[in-house]
Amino acid sequence: MARDYDHLFKLLIIGDSGVGKSSLLLRFSDNTFTGSYITTIGVDFKIKTVNVNGQKVKLQIWDTAGQERFRTITSTYYRGTHGVIVVYDVTNGESFANVKRWLHEIEQNCDLVNKVLVGNKNDTPDRKVVLTEDAQRFADTMNIKLFETSAKDNINVEEMFLAITKLVLKAKLEMQERQNVTQNDTVNLRKTNKQGKKKNCC
Amino acid sequence: MLAVHRDVLNIVQAKFLSAEIVRSIHLNVFTLEEVWSNENRILALVEYNKSFALFVLIASKQKPTSISDLSVETVIPVDEFFSCDTELVEESQNHIIFIITYKKIKRAFKIEIGLESSNFASEVIRSKEHSLYNKPSFVWLDKYIGTMSQPSRSDVSEQDDLPITRHQIAQGQTSINRESMLKYHLKLKEAEYTQKQEFTIFVGTWNVNGQPPTIPLSNWLAFDDNPPDLYAIGFQEIDLSKEAFLFNDTPREAEWHKFVTEGVHPKAKYKLVGLARLVGMQLVVMVNNKHYPYVKNISVDTVGTGLLGKMGNKGGVGVRLELHNTSLCFVNCHLAAHVEEFERRNQDYKDINARMNFRKSPQAIKDHEQIYWLGDLNYRITELTTTQVKTLLLRNEMVTLLKADQLNQQKERGNVLLDYEEGDISFKPTYKYDLHSDTFDTSEKARPPAWTDRILWRGRGIYQVAYRSHMNLRISDHKPVSALFKSEISVIDPIKYRKVHEDLIKKMDKFENEYLPQVTVDQTEVVYDLIKFREPQSREITIANTGMVPAEFEFIKKLDETSYCKDWLRIIPYCGNINPGNTLYDFDYFVLNLLIVGEKCDVKLEVNLETDHQKLYDILVLHLKDGKDMFIIVSGECQKSSFTSPISLLCRISVPVMQVPEEQWKLAEKLESSVRYSVPRELWLLIDHIYRHGMKIRDLFESSALHEEIIRIRDWLDFGSLDPFPGTIQAAAETLLLFLSYTKDPVIPYELHDTCIAAASNYQHCKQIILQKVPDLHRNVFLYICLFLQELLKYQNDNGYDAKTLASLFGDILLRDQIRNSKPQASRGKANFIYNFLVNDLSTSIIPAK
Repeated sequence: MARDYDHLFKLLIIGDSGVGKSSLLLRFSDNTFTGSYITTIGVDFKIKTVNVNGQKVKLQIWDTAGQERFRTITSTYYRGTHGVIVVYDVTNGESFANVKRWLHEIEQNCDLVNKVLVGNKNDTPDRKVVLTEDAQRFADTMNIKLFETSAKDNINVEEMFLAITKLVLKAKLEMQERQNVTQNDTVNLRKTNKQGKKKNCC
Repeated sequence: MLAVHRDVLNIVQAKFLSAEIVRSIHLNVFTLEEVWSNENRILALVEYNKSFALFVLIASKQKPTSISDLSVETVIPVDEFFSCDTELVEESQNHIIFIITYKKIKRAFKIEIGLESSNFASEVIRSKEHSLYNKPSFVWLDKYIGTMSQPSRSDVSEQDDLPITRHQIAQGQTSINRESMLKYHLKLKEAEYTQKQEFTIFVGTWNVNGQPPTIPLSNWLAFDDNPPDLYAIGFQEIDLSKEAFLFNDTPREAEWHKFVTEGVHPKAKYKLVGLARLVGMQLVVMVNNKHYPYVKNISVDTVGTGLLGKMGNKGGVGVRLELHNTSLCFVNCHLAAHVEEFERRNQDYKDINARMNFRKSPQAIKDHEQIYWLGDLNYRITELTTTQVKTLLLRNEMVTLLKADQLNQQKERGNVLLDYEEGDISFKPTYKYDLHSDTFDTSEKARPPAWTDRILWRGRGIYQVAYRSHMNLRISDHKPVSALFKSEISVIDPIKYRKVHEDLIKKMDKFENEYLPQVTVDQTEVVYDLIKFREPQSREITIANTGMVPAEFEFIKKLDETSYCKDWLRIIPYCGNINPGNTLYDFDYFVLNLLIVGEKCDVKLEVNLETDHQKLYDILVLHLKDGKDMFIIVSGECQKSSFTSPISLLCRISVPVMQVPEEQWKLAEKLESSVRYSVPRELWLLIDHIYRHGMKIRDLFESSALHEEIIRIRDWLDFGSLDPFPGTIQAAAETLLLFLSYTKDPVIPYELHDTCIAAASNYQHCKQIILQKVPDLHRNVFLYICLFLQELLKYQNDNGYDAKTLASLFGDILLRDQIRNSKPQASRGKANFIYNFLVNDLSTSIIPAK
């Protein structure tokens, strides 16, 4: 079937319950926000196509339940993920402390995957308890990009999703490059030059 | 029936419960899906309570000898979704393909044609008919689906049943064809992001009569003052040699191409877009260099309509392309010759249209926005002699002549080039001239002159500004013709285009998201009241469709689990389809209005406790096909019961289980407290009661008690009571059987069953097993029951029992299988084992508890 996109990636949003994972997704996909809190009991996904450097990237973004009791089940949804968005709540220190556990969860369930760290609810300074500097320092040591967002006030949401998309796209293109190089080597060794460049798309 | 067939039928039947009757089987079935594996399969049609199912069993041996040689591969319910069919095998007349279809699952089996196959097929068809009149229930299949080797149920749904699996969603293959929708809507909105720009198109045609190019073509191609934007130049008869005709290979192609390249307008540079040639027909399309970046999707094709209707001496060659946002198609043709063959020419035209197939979309000539049709169409002037024509030409009576033109006549009648336009002809007929002259044919044949060479067009925004012949090119018996067009091409404004495109993508994302199945569940936490042994409780959850599309739901198993729910739970129905509410949906404008009146589905979650648990807890995964998953938590506290408790624990407590302090219970559980009774108190109470009141009752164990009665006895035992025994003697007997059937471990441990069965023919061996291998407390219980049964047999004149009956009744209970009734074929061995202890003197075997 013909496709209206150049790349398709699966992204996963994880993090403690109540940090605003579903709100981030809703803001990004529908540009809406609802103040009432409905806890996600399950996993849901939405589609969003974005344009990165002229390439059409279709994202399938999975939103997972954050509650502890679902953790073993939700971990089974990590399979095939290209990028993971780890979310904490800047007004909730515990959710930040738990980021380590979530990162560990990724390591357990994914091979190579791109990640971003997201401090959500960054809209009421007097309630903020996770300082940007602390979060940034942590992100630096883990070698992850940090974004402070607000799904409510639509701050940094689009930027964050685009950043993870770019990371995933870059990783894919680099991977293809490497594959092409090794492919060409083999071709040269065997002295058959009929094998054209194969376009690998996921 | 063959003996082999009968033997296997018995073994297959043993695989099922006695109420599940194997109606028909088919041996030596081979699947077509895996050609490399030669696994032997057996098809079995099984009926339970008027509902049929087809089982595909894998036999590890060609002739299975026990049920362990058989494993269930697939279970297919015979219901409205089931159908079967047969197909012939090409390479073998002795075999036939038997095809089973169930929803999206399709299985094909190769079987030998014969009595067996026809019997089996007719049984299957009959069962299908049967299913139409009944509303069969297939809950009984659940237990087999859990044991399926593969694919298991959820695998089936992931791999076969769902047209789009979750994996495929991750590949972006959703049910909406976004690409074609995008194209369609982009075309609709074309005006928003394009503007019309005028392009000059020069179209030329010349039948060169097999002559090589010897004169420059600039008098023809560069005739106008200004250079055109695009050239489409067609030749016919560039090579009349046999080689060209037979091998479609000619040096003339390159020669004419070179002359065209050299003959184009000197004020501009041109680049070749496409070149199509078939034998003598050649079409060269070139575009002004500056437009080349905006040309895309170029494709060429050729159609022969000559000898045998397909040779290339006649026919057409085409080049299609997109210039900016407009699709153009050029067709150069050479149609059948001779005055009287106009119908043949009409047919050639139709064949070219029907058979020309560009491999880029649109593929057919007619689907292009602008079509330019040129060539030697070969239509002549009829009903006029050569002299008459020449006279009319001298008098310049063009109208009369054009009325006699076959093309005009045929076109008017709708026989050819329908909807095509042609400019007014003011030039002389272009055929037939003496070579190197402007004189019409002076040979003996003196053919009447004709306008054989023509240019027509079809499509919007095409304006012809010139239509002429070029008399001074004299190497052929035809004169070249050309037409100049001002054609409107839609040119994309990149900024506006991106905006429209992005908006459409956004709308389609929205559309796709809104078209995902959506449901809500009224409760995601189901908490049961105190769960008691053999007292089922059910809760209902309501799934409502809140989306725009039918929602197909199914409870799916979690990773590493064998079934979608634990054995203490039943989900009815575990899958289903819920229709959406009324939706108003305007496709063209993506306006989506929703009136939510979606349908609902009540799902019963029934818990039934038959093993010991303190708490029940599970998370169910409710999966929507092509959509999200929801989690439903089921939980409940369980009441302690002597039923389902280990014998070793019950012997360590001296009071009813509900009166045991938690500490004491834990110690007893860990076997750390001392043994108080040699057999469980509850067992003694039951047997004592029967001993005193029931020994002479006929068919004591066969009559069934009321459920409430059993519950009362359970509580009487578990809570302890001074009240008299709260049930009939029959209820006491049934409770005894229940108690022994549900103790945490069977009286004879699982691992000894095979040994017991093997020893069954020798009492001494049996006794040794009991004395040496069975743990003390279990041995006590075993001997206690055997002594009780021996006692019962003393009254056999009254109660009607004989040792064999009791042995087979208690054999299945005292040596019960790990999975209930999983080895029915072992029943006889178990009964034989027990029988030893009912007919021999046991007094020497009795050892008091330590």
